[in-house]
Amino acid sequence: MKPLLILALEHLYLATAGVFLATLVGVPLGILLTHYRRLAPVVFSLTEMVQTVPSLGLLALLLFVFGLGNKTLIAGLLIYSLLPIVRNTYTGIRSIRPELIEAGKGMGMTRLQLLTQVELPIALPVVLGGIRVALITAIGISTIGVVIGTGGLGQPIWRGIQMENQGMIIQGAATAAALAILAEILLTALEQRITPRGLRKRKAT
Amino acid sequence: MLRFEQVTKIYSGQRVVDCLDLEVKKGEFLVLIGPSGCGKTTTLKMINRLIEPSEGKIYMNGTDISRLDPVQLRRQIGYVIQQVGLFPNMTIQQNVDVVLRLLKRPLQERQERVRELLAMVGMDPALYAERYPNELSGGQQQRIGVLRALAADPPLILMDEPFGALDPITRESLQDEFKRLQEKLHKTIVFVTHDMDEALKLADRIVLMKDGRIVQAGPPEELLRHPANDFVAFFFGKKRKENEIYLETVDEVMNPAPVTIRPEQGVAEGVELMRRRHVDSLFVVDKEERFLGQVTIESLNREHLRAHQIIELLDTNVPTVLAGSKAETAFRIMTEQRLKYVPVVDTEGRLVGLVTRTSMVNALASVVWGDGISA
Ligand SMILES: Nc1ncnc2c1ncn2[C@@H]1O[C@H](COP(=O)(O)OP(=O)(O)O)[C@@H](O)[C@H]1O
Ligand SMILES: [Mg+2]
Repeated sequence: MKPLLILALEHLYLATAGVFLATLVGVPLGILLTHYRRLAPVVFSLTEMVQTVPSLGLLALLLFVFGLGNKTLIAGLLIYSLLPIVRNTYTGIRSIRPELIEAGKGMGMTRLQLLTQVELPIALPVVLGGIRVALITAIGISTIGVVIGTGGLGQPIWRGIQMENQGMIIQGAATAAALAILAEILLTALEQRITPRGLRKRKAT
Repeated sequence: MLRFEQVTKIYSGQRVVDCLDLEVKKGEFLVLIGPSGCGKTTTLKMINRLIEPSEGKIYMNGTDISRLDPVQLRRQIGYVIQQVGLFPNMTIQQNVDVVLRLLKRPLQERQERVRELLAMVGMDPALYAERYPNELSGGQQQRIGVLRALAADPPLILMDEPFGALDPITRESLQDEFKRLQEKLHKTIVFVTHDMDEALKLADRIVLMKDGRIVQAGPPEELLRHPANDFVAFFFGKKRKENEIYLETVDEVMNPAPVTIRPEQGVAEGVELMRRRHVDSLFVVDKEERFLGQVTIESLNREHLRAHQIIELLDTNVPTVLAGSKAETAFRIMTEQRLKYVPVVDTEGRLVGLVTRTSMVNALASVVWGDGISA
């Protein structure tokens, strides 16, 4: 088996790849939904339904399309990550005070300018919050990738179970947990960094 | 400059603006006023096409605005809203120059323009340009809201109850400031309000609306003197009476015998005096009855072990009013500074009485229910 560090990096790669692709799809989808609001409930119940499918079952289904290996896992992660990202993008933009949208329009912003200069910057922290939740979930789910033949921290866990080696199981699980915590800390910090200064909660003086 | 021709807006079968004909001249300060829901905002937003009319046409400088690109149109029209709507993610500089940025003006020109505008409303550019809206007071934020509308120097400015959310004092100072500004800039302004005082103060011409129609339009004087019907008379009459409310001078409403003490008297005496007279502050006067300040029960409680004489606990920072001034002055000081009372002094500085919350209530009651109750 590969060294733990390599497995951890593999693991991180798989999880981020899935979430990255989900971001590429989910953010535009969330934006689109703010313009077609009637579609929003439909899309949300659909993605929610998908989320209730057990991850093992979903991966099994995707196996038919993508075969054994990383592709299937990444596709599964993409699907799982879609809901938090789409929902946060949508609610992030929807919860912007309506007078800001009115002011933007009234100043003569085009739809695209309104989106890039007002809506997205203000919603960005919320969007990133969705990405963070998705990534942490993805780090967890990636451990079961091993049953469809991916690398990552599922390997020591799986191996440990087969060999009845508790130490191995714990090593894999603890590293995955550490990755999740690290992701949480880093993305929370990033969220605070990118929050425009004018939107940060002011410390009481 | 601006002409409405038979403009109608229908929402679910209801004509919220009904066959409106209206002309706004260049450089005119037009105020749209009327009860809530009469269609003022709808009328205003049809000018910058945030709302499209159901019927009728609006012309700007002779051009039918429905033929113009709405985005281009809006960049030529200043817009100020009640909720201010400053972009929280942008600095004051970025908020004020937003239209200039949309028009792709160079940075240096934008910075210069913002400096000039900030200076115009007495805000130091060095101090404010790089701040964010949430670091400003409500009044300052709306100043920025007005500057944002002025930045690209549009000939026409729309304002929808711009000062409506501000406290009365800030509102008045912004009205004055804006009036001065307008005297310099000569913009064409369409201004929505439901505050009659504001309309009378600012308008060249007032348009009074009701149920989507114009009831009367004319200079303030004309509406006051020759109301077209009872609705107009009522709308303005109510206000006129309010302005004539007669409030007495402080001498008539004050309590003439506040509980006093001398500075050299002992702290224990003060405590005893408060207990006997059921008061929580004492007014400190010298031999000649001249007012020096006050001591409160809080300071007595806190300091009675340390201090011996009243003078050690004297709080001299007490607002007073002059005998003979209008009761209103005292009331205003009390409301603004959240005071329970204001001492009244004569020209020699002698304490002659005390205006309290009770005197305020009694005086107002006498205005509402007639005389005879005043304290
Ligand atoms: N988008 C809308 N849909 C339906 N009715 C509306 C809409 N906007 C305004 N109205 C109605 O039109 C009337 C006039 O509204 P408005 O112009 O905002 O009044 P004002 O600004 O004078 O208070 C009100 O009765 C309001 O309820
Ligand atoms: Mg309104």
